[in-house]
Amino acid sequence: MKLNVFELLGENCITLEDGQKIFDLIHPELSASNTVDLDFKDVKIFASPFFNAAIGRLLKDITPDDLNRLLKITNIVPTGLAVLKRVIENSKEYYSNPNVRKAVDEVLLEQSEAL
Amino acid sequence: MKITLSIPTINDYTAVNFDVLFNLWNQVNNDNLDVTFEFSQCGFLRHNAVAFLGGLTRLIQSRGGTVRFALNTISEKVKINLAQNSFLSTLGFGGAPWEGNSIPYREDLHQDKIALVDYLKTHWLGHGWVHVSERLRDEIVGRVWEIYANAFEHGQSPIGIFSCGQHYPKQHELKLTVVDFGVGIPSNVRMFFKHDARAQSLSAASCLKWAFQRGTTTKPNGTSRGMGLDLLKEFVKLNKGKIEIFSHEGYAIIDSKREEFLNRSTFFEGTLINITFIRDESYYHLASEVLEEPLF
Repeated sequence: MKLNVFELLGENCITLEDGQKIFDLIHPELSASNTVDLDFKDVKIFASPFFNAAIGRLLKDITPDDLNRLLKITNIVPTGLAVLKRVIENSKEYYSNPNVRKAVDEVLLEQSEAL
Repeated sequence: MKITLSIPTINDYTAVNFDVLFNLWNQVNNDNLDVTFEFSQCGFLRHNAVAFLGGLTRLIQSRGGTVRFALNTISEKVKINLAQNSFLSTLGFGGAPWEGNSIPYREDLHQDKIALVDYLKTHWLGHGWVHVSERLRDEIVGRVWEIYANAFEHGQSPIGIFSCGQHYPKQHELKLTVVDFGVGIPSNVRMFFKHDARAQSLSAASCLKWAFQRGTTTKPNGTSRGMGLDLLKEFVKLNKGKIEIFSHEGYAIIDSKREEFLNRSTFFEGTLINITFIRDESYYHLASEVLEEPLF
């Protein structure tokens, strides 16, 4: 499957809602082990809500190895790639370590040390 | 109840300047007020004050109150600014805006992607007073969008989001204030940790610091959701800009030299973000990411 993102969404990939549209299109394909080519030619503005919904969520039930094999990202500008890489990092950490209590411990510890 | 509030000259030089706005909010944080704003002591209103006063007006109205502006007390200089940036016409006080150093005052009840991107690209960055390439412009818009995305997704502001910018040619600076009158970042962070009794003792400053960490989110919906504020923070630090956030008693100031999170004595329930960018591209570092495999 090849998707031209500009044709679907225009030049701004910034909202959760638009990310959800892409997710709904590619998740079934990837889950069925079909390859997907996401072409970002002519997309100019990127923000994290879009990638969180479109790509970050894929890591919930598809392994990084499978995504590396099946999902191709093409023609993305460096700004967009920087955001995408950050979203993937965050998502991998989230799904491998959803330990909220640890997060509270860290914040409380920092607060006590700052006093 | 009838009250008259005097609006003084309001700058955005220090956090204390913002206290004037938050003290106003404290005085009108009630239902069914009849408020008159008078401006005899006001020599200038910066963009932060314009955005906040607009929001305050809508807040009072949404709670069954009425708002009057004593137009005859506004100096000519302030009146011109408020007319030029469309503040007066948007709030129903007549006049028509025109282009100048002002960037329009704006109210958004809902997230209108196309209109907001156009505002940032065309009205905020696109007047020729910022010497940036199309590529840098797009990068700045993407980073600043994170503020709006957070405000709409987490802010729960019943009256929406208020923005105003200004170009300050002498300082070579471009500024933007975005304010919402919702629940505030500390409230969202404490709610996210509600299962842990200790969360209620988290200070507002600690909550702000947490919100700026990579990969944090207050939406417990099983989806990884970086708040995006870390992306904005990195961009601002790298490119000699400045970002200030006020939410509850929390205050954050972030620039290339510092990243401070403090608790202050003044309380504001919503969230106000004030950002500053230098208007010359030679100061900027553009993203230079290269697509390498594997991506995941």
